[in-house]
Formats: sequence, C-alpha cells, structure tokens
Amino acid sequence: MANPLELFKGTLDVLILKTLSRGSLHGYGISRWIRETTEEELNIEEGALYPALRRLETKGLVEAEWGVTDTSREAKFYSLTGEGRTELEAGLNHWHRYVRAMSRVLGSPAG
Amino acid sequence: MGGERKRRGIFPRFGVSEDVEREIEAHIALHVEELVGAGWDPRAAREEALRRFGDRDRIAAAAAAVTRRHHRAVGRMEMFDTLWQDIRYGVRTLVRSPTFALVAVLTLALGIGANTAIFSVVNGVLLRPLPFEDPDEIVWVTEVNTRGGPMAVAWPNFRDWMANLRSFSGLAAYGVLSTTALGGDEPVQARVGRVSHDYWSIFGVVPVRGRLTTPDDHHEDAAPVVVVSRSFWENELSGAEISGLSLEILGFRAPVVGVAEDPGFPGGGIDMWAPLELGGLSSSRTAHNWRVVGRMASGVSIGQARQEAISLTARLVQDEPGADPDFLATSVFVTPLQEAIVGDSRTPLLLLFGAAGLVLLVACTNLASTLLARGAARSRELAVRMSLGAAKGRILRQLLTEGLVIAGVGGTTGVLMAGGVMRGLRAAQAGTIPRLSEVTIDGWVLAYTAAVALTTAFLFGLLPALRLTRRDAGDALRVGSRGNAREGRAGVWRVLVGAEVAMAFVLLVATGLLVRSSRALLTEDIGAEVGDVSTAAVTLSLVKYASEYDQARWYDELISELEALPDVESAGVMSTLPVAGSLASGRLELDGDLERATTAGYVVASGGAFEALDIPLLRGRLFDERDTPESGHVAIVSQSFAETVWPGEDPIGHEVNGGGMDNFWEDRTFARVVGVVGDVRYRGLDIEARPTVYFAHSQRPFRLQWGASVVAESSLGDAARVVGGLRETIRRLDSDVPLRLETMRSRVIESIAERGFVMVLFGAFSLIALVLASVGIYGVVSYGVARRTREMGIRIALGADGGKVLGMVVGASMRMVFAGLALGLVAAYGLTRLLAGLLYEVSPTDPLTLVIVAVALAGTALLASWVPARAGTRVDPMVTMRAE
Repeated sequence: MANPLELFKGTLDVLILKTLSRGSLHGYGISRWIRETTEEELNIEEGALYPALRRLETKGLVEAEWGVTDTSREAKFYSLTGEGRTELEAGLNHWHRYVRAMSRVLGSPAG
Repeated sequence: MGGERKRRGIFPRFGVSEDVEREIEAHIALHVEELVGAGWDPRAAREEALRRFGDRDRIAAAAAAVTRRHHRAVGRMEMFDTLWQDIRYGVRTLVRSPTFALVAVLTLALGIGANTAIFSVVNGVLLRPLPFEDPDEIVWVTEVNTRGGPMAVAWPNFRDWMANLRSFSGLAAYGVLSTTALGGDEPVQARVGRVSHDYWSIFGVVPVRGRLTTPDDHHEDAAPVVVVSRSFWENELSGAEISGLSLEILGFRAPVVGVAEDPGFPGGGIDMWAPLELGGLSSSRTAHNWRVVGRMASGVSIGQARQEAISLTARLVQDEPGADPDFLATSVFVTPLQEAIVGDSRTPLLLLFGAAGLVLLVACTNLASTLLARGAARSRELAVRMSLGAAKGRILRQLLTEGLVIAGVGGTTGVLMAGGVMRGLRAAQAGTIPRLSEVTIDGWVLAYTAAVALTTAFLFGLLPALRLTRRDAGDALRVGSRGNAREGRAGVWRVLVGAEVAMAFVLLVATGLLVRSSRALLTEDIGAEVGDVSTAAVTLSLVKYASEYDQARWYDELISELEALPDVESAGVMSTLPVAGSLASGRLELDGDLERATTAGYVVASGGAFEALDIPLLRGRLFDERDTPESGHVAIVSQSFAETVWPGEDPIGHEVNGGGMDNFWEDRTFARVVGVVGDVRYRGLDIEARPTVYFAHSQRPFRLQWGASVVAESSLGDAARVVGGLRETIRRLDSDVPLRLETMRSRVIESIAERGFVMVLFGAFSLIALVLASVGIYGVVSYGVARRTREMGIRIALGADGGKVLGMVVGASMRMVFAGLALGLVAAYGLTRLLAGLLYEVSPTDPLTLVIVAVALAGTALLASWVPARAGTRVDPMVTMRAE
C-alpha cells in the first residue's frame, strides 16, 4: 500500500458535512465512514475531527445532541442544519470546479 | 426552528471540558468495541484506538477552546444587545413624554452643574498640588508674636536662619509691593517682587531670556538689577530685546537683565523681581518686613525643622537687649505652603461644597418623586409586561437604564453649565479666592461628575424601580384603567417632598444669615463717610522727586487744584485708606518719657483727608497750612487712643513720637497733639478700630513715598462725578503717574468680596433648591388631584362646598410642608453653626431669619399647592364623572 495522502487544507469540513448529509452520526461514526469510504487512502488523525466538529457547531452548520448508540453506549450525535446543507452544496460546488480546473491542466486520472 | 435544541448544544448542562472528555471517551470506547468484535485482544484494541486518535490532551484542549471562545462572544453580544435595547427603550419613553424629560434633565443639570462647578473649585484650590516641583517640600515660615499669632520675619533673623538652619535646602525672603515703574511703553503701577536669591531655586524658575539674579546681585551695595515677568515683557516692553532696557522702580534705575515665567507665587501676578537688598534693610529684629518660604532638606520633617528654627531664634532674640520684647519673635511656625495659601478659604469652600451637595439631594428627591408619579402612571404598562413573562430583574434594570439616560443627558448639560459658571466666576472673583485662576474642569472633575451622575441615577432610579417591581402584576391589572394608586405610595411621596422642603429651608436660612451679615457689615459705622468719596492710588517717582518733601509739596498742589474744581467739596492725601485691610502700627513714645510707651496704628494724612472722609473732629483742630516742616511737629489722635493713653485727661498738648516710621523716630522728635478725631476702621469692615495716631503729611511725608491715596469728596454727593476731575488733574500735574481710580464705596464692597462670593453662591443654590421644592410640591398636588378627580366630583355633586374641597387638598399638602419645615428647623440648628466664622453680628440661629425664611417658604409652598389644587377642583363634576 502506498503512503496515505495528506488532506488538503480546509477540506476536512466538507468531508464532515458530506458524511453527515446521509443522516446524524456520532464522532466515531464519522471517522469510520471517512476511513472506509476512502479505503484508508486519507491520513486523518481521528482526534482532529473534534475541534472541527465544534467549529462547525459554533458556526451553526451542524448541531449536536447526546444520545445512545445501537450498542447502548452514550455518544454525542451530530446532524446537519439547514445552513450546513447550503454550506455543503457550496463546498461541493467549489471542490468540483477545482478538480475540473486541475484536471484540465494535469489530465484525467489514468484508468 | 430548532432554537431550543441549538441552545442546549451551545450551553450544555455540564462544563465544556467535561463534555469534550466524555465525547472523546465515547469515541475510544466505540472503536475498542469494534476492534474487539473483530477479534482483537481488548488491551491491544485500546492501545490501537488511542494511537489512531492522536494526541488526546492537545485535541481536547483545542476542541474546548473553540466552544469557550464562542460562548464568550455570544455572552458579550447578548449583554450589549440588551443594554442597547434598554437604552433605546429608555430614550423612546423619554421622547414620548418630553415635558417630563425636560424637567428631569434640567433638574439634574442644575444639581450636577452646581456640584461640578464647586468641585472644580475645591479640586483646583484645595486638592490639586501646587504647580511646583515637589510641592510638599515647600513650607511657609513665620515668626510668632506675643499673642501667639504669625508675624512677618525681621531681616536679621532671616539672615541668621539662612546661615545656620540645616533643615532647609533653601530659604527665601520676599515682599511684594505695588509701585510706579517707568521706562516701559507707559508709566505703570507694577507689582514688584523683592526676593532673596533662593526664591528662584525654591520655585524652579528658569530664565526665558537673559539671566536671573546672581548671588552677587544680592548685596546692599550691589548695582540694582531687575528681572521682568514674561507677561510684563510682552505687554509693557513690547517683547523688545532686553539688552539696553532699563526700568525705574523704587527710586532706582535698574537694567533689565532677564525675563522669567511667573511661577505663580506669591499669587496675584508679579510684574518684575528685584533683589530685596535693594534700598537697604533694617537691622532690627523687631522690624517685621518679610515673608519667608523654604524648601525642606530631604528626609527632614516639618516638626524637626520647626524645632531647629525655634531654638536658633530663641538664642537670637536673647542677644537683642535694646529691643522691645513685645516685638520680638516668641516662636516660629513652619506650615506646608499649600495650607498657608489656601488658609481661610478652606471653610467657605467646604461649606459651598456641602450646599451644592444639598442641592443635588433636592434634585434627586425631586426626580425620585417624579419617577414615582410616572411609575404610578406606568404601573399598568409594567404589570402587562411582567404578566407576559418579562423577568423582574430585566424590568428593574430597564428602569435603572432610564435613570442612567436621564443622568447622562443631565450630567452632560450640567458640565456644560458648570463650564460657563466657572468662566464667570474666574472673571468676577479673581483675587478673592487664592488659586482661583488655576481652576479648570479637568479629568478629575469629569470623573467626579460621572461618579455623581451614576450615584444620582441609582438614588432617584432605584427607589421607584423597587416599588414598581415589588408588587405582583395581577394587583395592578385588577385595579383597572387608573393604574394602582394606593395611599401607601402617596405616603412615601410626601416624605420625599417634606425632605426637599427641609433641605431648601436649611439652604435659605444659610443664605438669609449671610445676607444679613453682609448688610450688617455694609451698614457698619466705620467712623468715616465714604459714600461720596473717590480715591486714586498714587506712587510718585523717587527719581523725579528726590526728597520726600518734594513729594509732599506735589500733593499740596494737587489738593489745592482739586479743591478748586466745582465738583469737589474737599480733598486730601493719606498713607492708608479706611477698610484698606491693614494699618501700619508700631511703638509710640509718650510725652518724652521713655518708660511710657504704647503700641498703636499710625497714619500720615493731610487735614483735607479728614474733611473728605467726614472723620469727625471731636476736639482741637485738623492739620492745616500752619503745619510746615519748619514748625513744631503736630499730631492728631483717635478717640480710643486718647481714652486709653490719657484717661480722663485732655489729650491736647500731650506729645507722641511714632513707631519706627521715619527718621524722626531715631531723632526723638515729638509731635504735639492738636486734635482728637473719631475712631476709624482701617483693618477691615469687621475689625474694631485700633487706637491710631495721625501725623501731618507736610511734616512727616516719608511714608507717602511707598504709595499714598488721594481722596476727593463730591460736592453733589456723587462719588463717580469726581473721578474724571481726579484723573485729569493728576495727569496734568505729572503724566508719569500710573492711575488706579475707584470710588470708596466699591473699595468697601471689594473688601468683603470673599463673603460676597460665598453669599452669591449660597443664594443661587438656595434659589435652585426653592424652585425644585416648589416643582416637587406642585407635582405631588397635581398628581393627587388628578387621581382624586372622581372622588372630588362626587363630593361636590353631593353638595360639598368647592372651597372646602380645595382647602382639604391644600391642607393635606401644607401638612407635609410644615413637617418639612419642622425638620428643616432642627437641621438648621445643627448646621448653621458651621457658618459661624462667616457671620457678622448675626447669631447662627437668628430667630428673625428663621421666621422670615419659614414664612417665605411656606408662602411659596402654599402657592405651589394652591395653583394645581384650584385647577383640579374647578372641573365640572359632571364632566369628570362622565369621563369614567
């Protein structure tokens, strides 16, 4: 396996918002989802998620509530707010334009 | 949407750190659970989870910090938000009732303005340190006379102090005199500071141009030099290059060697300084001519310095066998300079400060009662808001904010008013109160005003606010459209108005006592009739008139020219004017007998001076043309002198020789008494006449050289009419004489200017208090009437006499006024004795003043009650009843 990729600055927020767009999740759930979806290609320190989550919370993009998991463990669940959803769309839009622009210069991924 | 849930997220039930820790622990637990599910060993699983999580402590801290920052920002925003809301609400409520707002703001502006003005004076005069480097080190040193009072310092004593005292790093003797200075753009009456050398270093004076005096200038035989003040240099010397400039003062022509900034000591503005050694110094330890200031050596206490000075001085005066022991120093006083300067002004200023405080209390009381009245009208609004869930604390805070808005606007207006008042005071009272020219509205004054405004806002805002919010909401709502108007509140209200009346009473009594004192003073018999007399202060040039007899002849010529004028009844010259504030005094020998000596005041005068001032001749004759330098010397004595020295005898024919005033003292040339005149108060309106001896100006003119006063009596009884003649005649005889002309009447009034200052301010304060109290009474009565319109309508409809109802309302109001008067009477008995030092021939509990003030105040209160009561009871009963 090649070395994991470093995350571009500022992309963690979009990743979290995207993850939550499927429904509310606790912190560990978010980190596991990102890990599995990216097939562990991204090198994210799991703990880094938490300051980011709180930043999103103070901006009113996500909201948090303590709840209980399927295995009866206490955990804080996060979900997107309306503003969060708008922000996610803007972020995705921005990301896609970025990737298209880069690809035009650097060429599409092989295969 | 979701507001409640969001809030709970931002403000969790437990602390932020705990929240973060719990969340992280949950994360790790979930990870471990999953790994164990996949077959990991639990311990290895935990290690793996922790490793993957990263630096736990750093992350926890970072996460908590994000939330905490947010909480603080939100908290601040909410606070400012509510405060802003309250202020806007407060301003809106005030704008909705402009009359109330205007009255409230004006009331407060008067109270705060008065306080700011007086505090700025207290601050500038009493509190602010003198404007010198290390002002605490500067002291005032005086000898002590046999009566235990301070006394100016004799030159030999000062010289020996200088040489021997180790407690001082500098000692300076000085004297100030007004004299003619020639050589500038015009002849002027200049204030000359005659100073010893340390004066410069004590006050840290540095030259602006040229140099100061050097120790070499300070010898009796040194060539005279003069240093001019910057303002004199700019105004009188046109700021010209000083080399080549010289001035003629005190009989010397002295080159101007430098220009210096006046350090402001001694006050009153100094035009120039000259070495005090100029003109010779008395070597007698009984000639008390100099004032002395010193700077303490570091580490020496005032007590130590005083001890050293006392023991040295005791040795000095022991070695003075020939001197009259009555005129030798018995001790030494060393006083901090600030205390010495401010001296007698402290008490009146503190009294004024107290009076201003009372005015502010009246203003607060008035506002509190007005707010109560408004509160009654608003209780329904507040009740509605409270029943709709507004927190009591919030409403309380909002009422206080309204108070703050009033206090803010009122305070600002007050400071502006105080600024204007201060400018007026400085212009009108310069010279009355020491350091008044230094008074400004500075940071301290503004801080004080802000503190006062805040305190008053709470004083007048809190009581009504508490009363309004204490009741439960339903109570006010049930009572209906009139709001809650229980008798209890009117009770508090009456107490407030009663207190206002009491405070106004105290202030008015104080003013009354001061006015009566001033009247007593101004009508005091000073032994001379001054109403129709004008005077000119004259100092002739000692260069032009080398001999004092040349000067005497000049005055003779002036007097005869003046008496030839149609407007002038009589004219004369004298060395001291009545109520001038001082009287030269000294030892007088009697009848050629060295053993028979006495102490008395002495004046040099022409016969016309007695006529012009109508000083009654009781026996013998006045001075006239028979009394020439060659003829035998003559004297006139005052009645009390004759009675004290020669009781039961005819004083005519006795002989006196006067106190160290000129060469005739040393020559032992006795003067024969030719007349007896009435006693005259020279030292002040309120100071008993001192036994006095008069010498003829034609025979002993020496004293006139340092300044004389020409007096002229109008033949038409109008002092102002002779001023022009005085000016023209003096100008014609010598155009180099600087002129200072005024009527004697204005001199008399000026002599009690400090009393006038205190009286006028007390008058203004009590007038404000009276107006405010009347407004308060008016307010209570008109509110009470409005509240009871229905009841009165019914009474009148049922046949009650309209007049009776009116009487009932006015009577209720006057009961509280009389209660206030009784309280004020008690307070006045306690407080007016503080004024005792300012009163003259009036007791602090003068019954006449108390009665007049009580009647006047009761009358005003009656009017203030009657007007709104009448307006209220005149309404047609049917109209008021239908209005319900």
